[in-house]
Amino acid sequence: MAKEKSSEKKVTKDRRSVNIIDTTLRNGEQAAGVVFSKHEKIRIAKMLDEIGIPEIEIGTPTLGPLEREIIKEIVSSKPSAKLFTYCEAFPENIAFAVECGVRNVIINISTSELHIKVKYGKTRTWVLNQLRETMSEARHNNLNFIVSAEDATRTDLEFLLKVLNVAERKGATRFRICDTVSKLDPFRTFLLLNTIINTTNFPIEVYNHNDFGMATANAMAAIRAGAKSLVTSVNGIGEGTGNAALEEIVMALKYLEDIDLGINTAKFREISEYVAKASARAIPVWKAIVGTNVFAHESGIHADGVLKNPRNYEVFEPGEVGLTRQLVVGKHSGSHTILHKFKEFGIDLTINEANDILSMARAMAVDLKRPLFEKELIYIYNEYLEKKKIDEEEEVEV
Amino acid sequence: MRGLDILTEFSMKAGEKLEPKNIKIDDTTLRDGEQTAGVVFANEEKIHIAKMLDRIGVHQIEAGIPTMGGDEKEAIKAISALNLSCSILGWNRAVVSDIDDSVECGVDAVAVSISASDIHIEQKLRKSREWVLESVRTAVDYAKKFNLYVSVNAEDASRADMEFLLQFARTSKEVGADRLRYCDTLGILDPFETFMRVRTIIDIIGIDIEMHTHNDFGMAIANAIAGIKAGATYVNTTINGLGERAGNASFEEFVMALKYLEGVDLGIDTHLFRNLSEYIATASGRFIPAWKPVVGANLFVYESEIRASTVMKEPKTFELFRPEDVGLERKIIIGKNSGVNTLIQKLKSLGLKIGQKEAEELSESIREKALAFKRALFDSEIIEAYNSYMKSSPEKSKIKKREG
Repeated sequence: MAKEKSSEKKVTKDRRSVNIIDTTLRNGEQAAGVVFSKHEKIRIAKMLDEIGIPEIEIGTPTLGPLEREIIKEIVSSKPSAKLFTYCEAFPENIAFAVECGVRNVIINISTSELHIKVKYGKTRTWVLNQLRETMSEARHNNLNFIVSAEDATRTDLEFLLKVLNVAERKGATRFRICDTVSKLDPFRTFLLLNTIINTTNFPIEVYNHNDFGMATANAMAAIRAGAKSLVTSVNGIGEGTGNAALEEIVMALKYLEDIDLGINTAKFREISEYVAKASARAIPVWKAIVGTNVFAHESGIHADGVLKNPRNYEVFEPGEVGLTRQLVVGKHSGSHTILHKFKEFGIDLTINEANDILSMARAMAVDLKRPLFEKELIYIYNEYLEKKKIDEEEEVEV
Repeated sequence: MRGLDILTEFSMKAGEKLEPKNIKIDDTTLRDGEQTAGVVFANEEKIHIAKMLDRIGVHQIEAGIPTMGGDEKEAIKAISALNLSCSILGWNRAVVSDIDDSVECGVDAVAVSISASDIHIEQKLRKSREWVLESVRTAVDYAKKFNLYVSVNAEDASRADMEFLLQFARTSKEVGADRLRYCDTLGILDPFETFMRVRTIIDIIGIDIEMHTHNDFGMAIANAIAGIKAGATYVNTTINGLGERAGNASFEEFVMALKYLEGVDLGIDTHLFRNLSEYIATASGRFIPAWKPVVGANLFVYESEIRASTVMKEPKTFELFRPEDVGLERKIIIGKNSGVNTLIQKLKSLGLKIGQKEAEELSESIREKALAFKRALFDSEIIEAYNSYMKSSPEKSKIKKREG
């Protein structure tokens, strides 16, 4: 509301379409200690497809026969999403993708000096040749391919542009910039992406890590700079701190950048829960967008504000991401919450009664070091009534 | 720089050198952190946390809300009485009686908080803009009589009309406030809007700005950084990002982002990070996710073949800082994504030898196990797999004995 009034001061936002390629099943599973079973991978692919994710990375065929079997099964389920597998840039890896029946591959190669030296023990020339040969092999097999530049954000810009140029000329469909060690903040992201996009005009995709908690913000900065595609994972699951979280990206695009991708976000909590269980990584209650606490209000000021109008403290309705609103009674609660809670129980309190019950509830919450259950509120109420009765009787006696 | 396209200006700020002396941390773990639905600290915990924050090097501690009374007030009094080297701030509504409670607690600084957006003014406070400005005047004026450092908190500043927000800032400055806290109460800014709004306030009004950001869209840290780039000098953080709903800007992430991405070292003792995070996690009953930026237990744990073998050669290939910098350890684990080289290394670290060809066979059986168990393997399971593999062929067993 008030925000619109100052719209003349807002940064201009290009309305553009953004592609999402989800890597829960590839880099998500690469998180140390995470293993999805075959059934889980198939289920996750199905869920992502159903909510309208346009592209999905489903695995790394070179990992072995077990992985390939799972990939084949996902392919045979014929989802409407475009399916990709992932490989390092070695020509012989392409055969494994072909064996799995996928039509799209991501060809990954490190481009930074440090990686070329330590990871490969090779030179830039070797990197370019390796990439060319792998791309030729992919073309030979009629595969579409994205070229992924690992550690791109620590790569000499001139060389990065050269790699991009080679990729473009050999028929890549997109070029992926990987911020492998989270070297970028939104300012650097914007500058780098803007420079690349102004130089080449080739479709760019960004792949962010969350080492300093900026994966989502960097993705938004990339979109402002003209990137066409973002790599996400459910709950942000991935190696180390993980990737940009699918649910954060979709909601930030919608509510902060005015780009609605038409994804069925009401399923977000359900998918997050499923991936959390399958990966044995609980969803923190405070997880942005899908945490159960995101729509829980305890403090007097916030709860009171929400009761008057949810928009006071909420940007969108909890149902939009599959959550529900809760009012929690605890140390920081105010009398309005008490009034509201008891009304829900069918009890109309006076303001004085609410204040008395509030101080009892607060003391109990401090003592228990947690908020109160609804039952405990009723116990307090009964205690309060008894006490009041005794007080009144005493008064009569006097 | 004025007059430039905002996006050009934004990109000019990439990599710009910032001055450490201009950036201060006001930690609100004890106030907004505890205000989180479901979180309650015991008073002794609050005192312990305050001591830890002081020792680690924060500049100001937001200790709580004095006007809540009871235990809360006692805790704030006790913290003020510690005579720590950092400043102690009490949170207040823009109400005179609240400030009396703060004064009684012995704090040296107060936050005076009131909403700046029309939606809050009309629908929460049910008052007018003029009433808001008058409340600011009265409260700041009153606090200044006690020689307190005063931060005026513009709640919901992100949805406030910019003209009114400027008026709000000007009023605060005129009446003697020391700084303005820009509260992105709902976490709805991206770094571009943050940068522009904060820069506008600083340019036009010229008042110290503190960033109070929320993580509802995962942008709390990025927005705090954007505020600093625009000229803000204080950042309101919490340990582990504890705070209402999706939480606030996490202290440890912000400090490390400043140090490793922006080149600003605040002189905070980062070695204590994991320790501090664990304490807050226990006291708040909220676990530290293994993947939590900066302090998660899994950050320096490697499983996939390429990463594990590369990082063993040179940690800088995948790490911007060392695990010991934040009180963590580097570790290699064996699971579904592990390869032969990692396995050989792991066995070696367990004092076991294996040939290349044998490792390849063993590696496949280990992958099957990881898939069956749906997790990485414990060292004892790796040893067991090794022993049973060696036993399966008498010849390999002989080699093992001879080598052993």
